[in-house]
Amino acid sequence: MAYSDKVIDHYNNPRNVGQMDKSSDEVGTGLVGAPECGDVMRLQIRVNPETQVIEEAKFKTFGCGSAIASSSLATEWVKGKTVAEALEIKNTDIVKELALPPVKIHCSVLAEDAIRAAIGDWKKKNGVAETAEAVAVAAH
Amino acid sequence: MATSSTTSVPAACWACNAALTDSALLCPACNKVQPGSGADYFQVFGLERRLSLDVEALEREFHRLSRRLHPDRFARASAQEQQWSLANTALLNDAYRTLRDPLQRTEYLLKLTGLKIGEENSGSGKAPDRQPPADLLEEVFELNMQLEEMRMNQKMGEDDPTLHRDLTQARTHFESLLATVDNDLTAQGAIWDSGDAAAQEKAANAMAALLDRRRYLRNLVRDVNEVLSTATV
Repeated sequence: MAYSDKVIDHYNNPRNVGQMDKSSDEVGTGLVGAPECGDVMRLQIRVNPETQVIEEAKFKTFGCGSAIASSSLATEWVKGKTVAEALEIKNTDIVKELALPPVKIHCSVLAEDAIRAAIGDWKKKNGVAETAEAVAVAAH
Repeated sequence: MATSSTTSVPAACWACNAALTDSALLCPACNKVQPGSGADYFQVFGLERRLSLDVEALEREFHRLSRRLHPDRFARASAQEQQWSLANTALLNDAYRTLRDPLQRTEYLLKLTGLKIGEENSGSGKAPDRQPPADLLEEVFELNMQLEEMRMNQKMGEDDPTLHRDLTQARTHFESLLATVDNDLTAQGAIWDSGDAAAQEKAANAMAALLDRRRYLRNLVRDVNEVLSTATV
């Protein structure tokens, strides 16, 4: 199976790899996984408490090229968005941007889950009322 | 005729008109090869949908059916019979390979019951309960970080004995987790075999979660072994 140029680009030059202080109130951490491929994805966001804008995003993913590219792209997309705007990102947008083949769609779902989990974690820390969906994702 | 994909409907042998089911590979009366199109893997062997089975008896039955269905025996039969013999032999092989392995047998049975497992359900935001538990994810993540560190050290030509020890310990730990999962799978399988519909559904969900967990653990053991096998310490 051939990866698209965009996947290869993100794979070779992943954006925003790293980690932030998990214990900081401004940082939300999402850790999600797909057992059948052994993928684990950690996505973190740092949110400005005044504006609720995501000022920084970091990820670390152990998995295939598509999983790495999906999370790399996710960090690029959430940066500069408000928390509410970031929740609008859908896995189908990631599929389109990276031209993921059907067998790799679950990687984009994982990235969407990771965004939601990170936001859920941040909301929990900061006592922001959560949507039912975000609670469910953050719960694991 | 309306047919259901999950149950065998009565049919008749094309050659002798004896009553049989559409899952029959051979006619019990005249021994002629049949379309066998409706058969699931359990039906191929005339078995009930149960997780506990006698593997030796399965193997004997596999050999017996293989002989009777072998395409060589149909060299002079009609083109239709030749084609059925080929298709049924392929089905028989798949059925045997799947059912003789307890894990594949479980996955197959869960699929038959309509439960989505593995790839089809991966990371689905709609089923957050199928996400692996947080402690497992954290463990997996940590171990992957350690693995990465060891790989990098190897590249630079240095092997850290501490890291090597940690990895060996991690492997032991994950292998013991695997053994626990296998025990739990066996226990849930017994519940499935003897339970009513409600108990079966519960056991099926438990088994699906256990299989997810098992895949993670298997991958981890594989990755750890890979790094350890190239380590020079």
